[in-house]
Amino acid sequence: MAAVESELAVSSRRRPRWSRHRIARGVAPYALLAPATIAIGAVLAYPLYLLVRLSFERYGLFELIRHKGVWIGAANYTRILHDGQFWHVVLRTLAFTAVNVSLTMVLGTAIALLLVQLNSFMRMLLTAGLVFVWATPVVVAVDIWRWMVDSEFGVANWTLTKLHFGNFTHHDWFVNPWSGFAVITALVVWGAIPFVTITVFAGLSQVPDELLEAARIDGARPFAVFREITLPLLKPIFVILASLSIIWDFQVFNQVWIMLDQRPSSDYFLMSIYSFFESFRISEYGLGSAIAVVMVLIMLVVTSFYVRQMVKAGEVR
Amino acid sequence: MKARVIAAVLLAAVLAAAATTASGSVAKHNATTVTVWLQDDAKNGWADAVAAATRSFQAKHPGVNVDVQYQQWTTHLTKFDAALAGNNAPDVIELGNSETAKYMAAGAFAPIKAKAYPNSSKWLAGLKSSCTYNGKLLCVPYYAGARAVIYRMDYYRQAGIRSTPRSLNQFVADGKKLMKKFGKDGNFSAFYYPGKNWYATMGFVYDYGGQIAVKKNGKWKGALTSPQAIKGLTAAKSVMKALSRAPRTTDEAHPYPSIPFAKGKVASFVGNGWEWPYTLDPKVGNPGLANVMNAYPMPSHVKGRYMPTFLGGSDLAIPATSGNKTLAADWIAAYTSTANEKKMSDAGNIPNASNLAALAAGNPKVSPFARAAKYNWFVPISPNWSNVESGNVLQEMCQAIFTGRKSVRAAATSASNTITRILNTGS
Repeated sequence: MAAVESELAVSSRRRPRWSRHRIARGVAPYALLAPATIAIGAVLAYPLYLLVRLSFERYGLFELIRHKGVWIGAANYTRILHDGQFWHVVLRTLAFTAVNVSLTMVLGTAIALLLVQLNSFMRMLLTAGLVFVWATPVVVAVDIWRWMVDSEFGVANWTLTKLHFGNFTHHDWFVNPWSGFAVITALVVWGAIPFVTITVFAGLSQVPDELLEAARIDGARPFAVFREITLPLLKPIFVILASLSIIWDFQVFNQVWIMLDQRPSSDYFLMSIYSFFESFRISEYGLGSAIAVVMVLIMLVVTSFYVRQMVKAGEVR
Repeated sequence: MKARVIAAVLLAAVLAAAATTASGSVAKHNATTVTVWLQDDAKNGWADAVAAATRSFQAKHPGVNVDVQYQQWTTHLTKFDAALAGNNAPDVIELGNSETAKYMAAGAFAPIKAKAYPNSSKWLAGLKSSCTYNGKLLCVPYYAGARAVIYRMDYYRQAGIRSTPRSLNQFVADGKKLMKKFGKDGNFSAFYYPGKNWYATMGFVYDYGGQIAVKKNGKWKGALTSPQAIKGLTAAKSVMKALSRAPRTTDEAHPYPSIPFAKGKVASFVGNGWEWPYTLDPKVGNPGLANVMNAYPMPSHVKGRYMPTFLGGSDLAIPATSGNKTLAADWIAAYTSTANEKKMSDAGNIPNASNLAALAAGNPKVSPFARAAKYNWFVPISPNWSNVESGNVLQEMCQAIFTGRKSVRAAATSASNTITRILNTGS
């Protein structure tokens, strides 16, 4: 800190205080940042402000038509916090996120490690496959999966029956929420793996071969090499992948919504669905907003840990 | 460190992607365009009536465009709410007769002058009351519908069934004959009955004397736990178990039962009048079934009576936010003309006025449905009712019962309590 001050003092002595050059240099970074700031303000900050305001209002159909809510303070919040179903949904969402993120990270990393070992033709084939999965729009992917697990004509039931895993004719995967969520988890993880794999693979190519070789010469087994060398070196990548996965999986909506014909039963409510349901199906927009705000807060708490890690990782040189 | 650079680039890319997906499109609103939201049923069943209405409307108003946008039942109210909030609502909207109360109570619709519409003095009382709130007329009856059993005559004959059943017991016995004859095919259903088809299930409840909810001293109370309702639900469950292999987690429109029916996997299903011609539509069905299809009213557990059917129907309203109210009214008048109501009747619906009833009675493809409507039920009349429907309360109850996740009583109790809470909101 002291060094910086003295440096500033030196430079200010050297030149006149308010030269045009200096002003331009002082303003330029802010001018360059301005478009992004305005864009973020318009598409993020303002809607967020509206959401928070809505969560303190009674805003039903009557208010919607007149474009004017009624301020009711924290009543929406006290109502959801005393609602047993809400807490159920929160726990379900957290568990769903934990399972999906873990599976995505473990499988994604495993496939990346596999990619390193493959010859270039197989690697290209696998990479192309991964990119196709990544490029498939969510809605299309959900529809394809829905046909595969269709109870009457789905290929999943047909295959399982043919392979003698039991009689799956007319097996309905969504009767039991556990098996239903297993299908949804498979779909979400399947869609998320390519991003993790390709990123980790890019990172792996940056790990110096000498380090790995030295470790192997010292007698380290493959898992120890991964744990002691690769993992610490790629920590920044893993931290950001994990935090992005948490953000994505915490707000999964389309996969559940489309898979269940836009009418998921309450067994399948995640926070995003619950909020949408209260807003757009029951026309309780204030209540739905309060749920959304709570969701944002939980998200902030969970991810702040990772953001701190990221900032820390950036400080250490 | 390269890894950190990769991480930073990734984050930037992801944020950019998030920012671009946040933008949406807004439909252009032109002063000389009348925007009409109709349900898919019109597109599938009587698109010719829509075209005819627009033609005669444009003869009167040259240069005015009519933009008909087809909507789906599961999402149209959500879209309508969003359009109201964005000052982007259509000039004409179709609503189911059980959906209107909520919007009328909230003041969403402009008043209607009955005289400006054809046959308005003879409008069906049931539809007209679904358009009336506090003595004011706020929408126009469009068409009515009842459900009946649509079946394959050839399958019935091959299973040795000589005449259509006249009691629920007979219906089940006949269904078992069909299952015996054709059930080796694991996809065959004698009676295709998806688990979330609450319209069919509530028919059983009303047949045994039950009700969804009752109003006492100004307060609603869910009534699905009454002994009669429990009997009805139990009967529905046993019919479904014996005769249906339809998915237990889907509703009556995903897929339309006419689709497996057209594939020959189904001997009968309970459907709306328009689903008969829809089955024969070469685009989605099988025209080859024209000579082997027929329909009869679903029999009651009391011999000789019919099981009550939901008295469904649709209304057309002009949102209060519309800038083209006069034009909208003219389009609705053109659309509900006698000639167009006849087209709707040909497609399997009951016309909107009693003086047009002869149209339905004379059409063998409509008369079973018109007869079925003799015994009918309707949802509790409350502005909050549509929240019960869109909240999936009854669908969930049906699914819980038919999948066996809950006992009939447990599922009925929980649904009944939810209905009590929703119907009494704000009163």
